[in-house]
Amino acid sequence: MSMLHRLRRSGWGWTLLAAVLVLVYLFPVYWMAATSLKTNTGIYASPPQIFPWPPMFSSYYDAVINNPLTLRSIFNSAVVGIGTMLLTLLLAAPAAYALARLELRIGPLLLLLLLITQLLPAIVIATPLFVAFSRIQLLNSYPALILADTTFSLPFAVIVLRPFFLTVPRELEAAAKIDGCNQFDAFWRVILPLVRPGLITVAVFAFLMGWGEFLFAMTLTTNEAVQPATAALNKFIGQYGTEWNKLMAVATTIALPIIVLFASLQRYIVSGLTAGSVKE
Amino acid sequence: MAQTQVSAGQQPHTRGRKLSTRYRSLSRYWFVAPALAFISLTMIYPIVSNLRMSVYDVNVSTFLSDSAPFVGLGNYIRVLTDPAFQRAFSHSIVFTVGSLFFQFVIGFALALLFNRRFPGNGLLRALLLLGWMLPTVVSGSIFRWMFDGSIGIINYAMQSLGLLDSPRFWLTDPNTALIGTIIANIWVGIPFNMILLLPGLQSISLSLYEAASIDGASGRQSFRHVTLPLMRPVILSVLLLGIIYTFKVFDIIYVMTGGGPVDATTTLPLYVYQLAFSFFRFGDGSAAAILLLLVLSVVAVIYLRLSQREEAES
Repeated sequence: MSMLHRLRRSGWGWTLLAAVLVLVYLFPVYWMAATSLKTNTGIYASPPQIFPWPPMFSSYYDAVINNPLTLRSIFNSAVVGIGTMLLTLLLAAPAAYALARLELRIGPLLLLLLLITQLLPAIVIATPLFVAFSRIQLLNSYPALILADTTFSLPFAVIVLRPFFLTVPRELEAAAKIDGCNQFDAFWRVILPLVRPGLITVAVFAFLMGWGEFLFAMTLTTNEAVQPATAALNKFIGQYGTEWNKLMAVATTIALPIIVLFASLQRYIVSGLTAGSVKE
Repeated sequence: MAQTQVSAGQQPHTRGRKLSTRYRSLSRYWFVAPALAFISLTMIYPIVSNLRMSVYDVNVSTFLSDSAPFVGLGNYIRVLTDPAFQRAFSHSIVFTVGSLFFQFVIGFALALLFNRRFPGNGLLRALLLLGWMLPTVVSGSIFRWMFDGSIGIINYAMQSLGLLDSPRFWLTDPNTALIGTIIANIWVGIPFNMILLLPGLQSISLSLYEAASIDGASGRQSFRHVTLPLMRPVILSVLLLGIIYTFKVFDIIYVMTGGGPVDATTTLPLYVYQLAFSFFRFGDGSAAAILLLLVLSVVAVIYLRLSQREEAES
């Protein structure tokens, strides 16, 4: 009893509780990785192998490394993710700055439009974009996916970035103007470098949104040459049927960049999630 | 752009600085013009286009040529009287209420836990967010695998614990498929609810709890009389946002069941998808999309009003 009491007082008791809950919560992620390291017979073992030892990488060879379609789809996702990231930064940074600092009459309207966009179901956008892109022959192209994916990363980015611009001291802008900078120079050379943490947060999120997007990937592309990995994974479900180890190998590969980015840029991601999931 | 020029021109300016002021006030609009143009293209255009297509008989033979005949409210009537639409609507309600209730309760409990100070709090909280960050296609396929009827881990665990006599084919049984997708969606939504509720809890001053405990309030009493009343606006906006975000869920359901078996897990977004992309009935699909938007806009208006009021107060 006294040890329990001591645990509670030091706070480590709460750590223990939270750690157990987090482990339970993350079990599905672990199970994905564990399954991907099993053989075709390993996944049928009963009782199930909770720790696949020794780990077997055969699913990765079969479904990822030696499968050109998977590799191509991962490359496509990277292109779409990076494209979404660049377009989002290009559109969101000036807009967020203007909403924070330049008192524009259309400011509140733009903010409202962005909030509404965030609430729209993707399918409502997918059908008209499919029709419009078929008419201008933009289906099955990277720009089609980048444009569509930025629809949802842009509102998020503006809402995350705006508070960052609010913290920039006004005197700095004034000083830059006295030094002969025009408004764009001041923005580009003086203000943008000051909101770097915000830009990193937004860049990471926009990349991840493009990387993980599914509905546009499925509706706007049919050609394997441009189809992203999320759509490819969905196809594999039909194709690999019950070869769950291979399916989980592809899933783990898609999840890996997120886990890596998460581990290395945790601080930016957590602050971004809190700020941008809704409003400020 | 017409609007921007008018409002820039309306600004009063003195004679000497006339040109430069006008130039400056105009140039400021270049900061928002690209974003505004983009939003018009990817958000306003699709809504207008849906509205237009919803009153024309746009199908696979007419969608490219723009020659579809006008049918008035014909598409809407066809969709509204379609039993599949009515079923999709009720699936959406069940899915949303079921997901949101558990996401919110579990998310709130976790927020209360992480509102305490303890070593490792930040790291553990961040790890929890991983579930929300995973692409939904990935989480969907993980749950599809865990719910597998023959070798899934959920059947194994439940049978070992004596909760199930024989394996259950969760996702191919019309009675349990929707529950399976709801459980997966709860998993995805827990961190989201937690992370939105936590700042609200953190903003409650500790002195209020101290005062309550001096007055002899138990932990439960101070939760009821201090935490809940002060959290009301946050709770309300999390729930409203949760309704909208859950109502529009597509990926997880599509990956886990494709809307089946038959249409047991077809919610409104999947119904719209099927009309447009399986049957190429774009006119009907657009009508259904507009109906979906109407439902969501009721919630959205309340939510936007609420958040604007909060912004005005802060």
